[in-house]
Amino acid sequence: MTRMVPLARRNLFQERRRAVLAVAGVAVALLLVLVLQGIFAGAMRQVTAYIRHSPADLVVSQRGVRTMHMSASALSPDTVARARAVPGVAWAAGIDFTTVVVGSASGRQLSYVIGYDPTDRRGGPRRLSRGRAPGRGEAVLDEIAAKQLHVGLGGRVQALGAAFTVSGLFRGGTSIVNTTTFVTADDFARLRGPAVSYVLVGARAGTKPDELARTLAATLPATTVQSRAEFARQEARIVSDMSADIMRIMAAIGFAIALAVVGLTLFTVTLAKLREYGVLKALGARPRRLAAVVAGQAVWSVALSLVVAVALALLVGAVVGRLTPTVQLVVEPADVLRVGLGGLVVGALGAILPLRRVLRVDPASAFRRPS
Amino acid sequence: MRRVPLTRRNLLTDPRRLVANSAGVGLALMLILLLDGLWTGVRSQVTLYEDRVGAQLYVVAPGTRNLFADSSSLPLSALRAARATPGVERASPVRALFSILDLHGKKVAASVVGSVPGEAGGPWAMREGRPPRGDDEVVVDDVLARRHHLRIGSRVEVVGRRFRVVGISKGTAAFMTGFVFVTHAATDELLRSPGTTSVVLVGTHEAGAVRSRLEGQGLTVLDGAQLRAANLQLATKVFGVPVRLMVGVAFGVGTLVIALTAYASVVERRREYGIVKAMGASGRRLLALALGQTLGLAVVGLGAGGVFFVAGRALITWARPQFSVVLTTGGLARAAGAALGMALVAALVPARRLARLDPATAYRGT
Repeated sequence: MTRMVPLARRNLFQERRRAVLAVAGVAVALLLVLVLQGIFAGAMRQVTAYIRHSPADLVVSQRGVRTMHMSASALSPDTVARARAVPGVAWAAGIDFTTVVVGSASGRQLSYVIGYDPTDRRGGPRRLSRGRAPGRGEAVLDEIAAKQLHVGLGGRVQALGAAFTVSGLFRGGTSIVNTTTFVTADDFARLRGPAVSYVLVGARAGTKPDELARTLAATLPATTVQSRAEFARQEARIVSDMSADIMRIMAAIGFAIALAVVGLTLFTVTLAKLREYGVLKALGARPRRLAAVVAGQAVWSVALSLVVAVALALLVGAVVGRLTPTVQLVVEPADVLRVGLGGLVVGALGAILPLRRVLRVDPASAFRRPS
Repeated sequence: MRRVPLTRRNLLTDPRRLVANSAGVGLALMLILLLDGLWTGVRSQVTLYEDRVGAQLYVVAPGTRNLFADSSSLPLSALRAARATPGVERASPVRALFSILDLHGKKVAASVVGSVPGEAGGPWAMREGRPPRGDDEVVVDDVLARRHHLRIGSRVEVVGRRFRVVGISKGTAAFMTGFVFVTHAATDELLRSPGTTSVVLVGTHEAGAVRSRLEGQGLTVLDGAQLRAANLQLATKVFGVPVRLMVGVAFGVGTLVIALTAYASVVERRREYGIVKAMGASGRRLLALALGQTLGLAVVGLGAGGVFFVAGRALITWARPQFSVVLTTGGLARAAGAALGMALVAALVPARRLARLDPATAYRGT
């Protein structure tokens, strides 16, 4: 049995430096798309961190308010007590929420400020990395924010127009936009009034959260009741919907550049190997076989470039995460798949011109002396 | 003896390759120009409200630095104090907050402004209709309105309450958020915060003296420059790293495209270059050849980038009018610098190949 010669791969990689440049060019073009997607995916994770780590099954907010980020929710102060009285509710914890600047002598950070009951802890940080929960006049800061504000335990920060002493630190509360600071609900109410922003609700064992959500919505007027997962999904959609236009523009440019590089590479490789194609034709190779060679080159280019682009994206993510801890770059498998599919489309388009050239090759060219 | 223009001839031998190179480099430079232009547009819009609202000073809650990103909450006693201050010609309360609107299944960020009808702080230019007077009335920015098919009489939900559109404002679209105007009383109800406001806009002809008097009463006062600096700082924090990353990647891809084209040309013409070397061309001459070629490609790419940029900007601002793409001489200079940088870096690869080229190549068949 005769073995097929892997012409596509050999043609592409015969001149290694050119192959490296070509793969790198396409890879960097795909990296453009992956990096931007990664930044937005990271922002989505950061924005939803508080709610994803909450022990709540359901979140009650003001009617029509489905998110925390860039949002304001104001509930009647008696909402917590009324929620607790609903059958099937195991616990209900109110939190106060606003976005303000938290400052120290060394800097300022835009921050969610969340007021919660430290004796309950359900509305507070998931776990403290250092120190303890806040008492009166005290605040818990995210570690990254504390570092940027140059304050540690016992340090002083300004928020809500008052001074707070840092009693504890936690992790995972800082995003590309803002950080998160926890104070006591009493301090929050003293400085901003007695309203409750959101109520976190836990369902009793055996209670279906969907049914409980309907009961709560019927019992608590002028509220929106969502499951924790739905609330997180709505939060993530703020980032995805707001970034959709920018994403489309950048992805279009990235793929257009990739198209130019793939087209350039395949065209160059094809021109350099026209005699070989002539030989193949003279030996009786069908157009389908020649087309397969060109298509194989396109697939090789895109596949290798995608691998390099993903590796580069992970590297860029690690470097950026180290240099700028507030920016998280997350490479999601779904994004890689999308970029890969886009890359294949680009590869197919880039192969059209070389393919036409190959199909028009005169078999007699195999016998001509090269110039 | 006349020199043979090898660089130009090599560049122009294969027009299709030149087109592909120009497209690749041009797109990378277009990206750099677009990012620069978008960033300039963002910076020009960060104080859109403050620039148009006609106030010289802003009384805010202590610690506040941004009108919309911070949730400033002031008691109305601050308004009374401001009005009673000598030198204050007008003082108007304004509620300023970000809100997420759900429009046709999309999350749309909006800057909600609550102002007192007839006082400063409301929409500064109307495309059609009138400013809000009733507490169930809203004016929406025209870009937002067009994008979401809102017109006079449409209903919009803001913070869980339905409002009737009575006007469409113009010149009120910022980079990520459009402005939405309601009455101050409506926001009091929405936020369950009667008796408070976010900011007091102060109009005066003696800003310095009035500021001192207001601060003397324990009020926190900001001016336009401070708000601009704080807004810019916030925008830089959010967009700075992604923009710099994108520019870096664009630079990388442009460099690689130039290097690939120049290198492919050297590989394919190694016999000719071998002849040049066999005829005694110095290393400097060969380096000049490589550099000339990459510079030529960069210049052609820069031209293509300019054309792509003009087309891309027209397309973006037509499809998404909220994006302001501003071309500055600084932006152009940076793009030209990037093109030059790409050419210099890209020249390294073909230059090394040429330096190691054996002159005997000239006598080989291929």
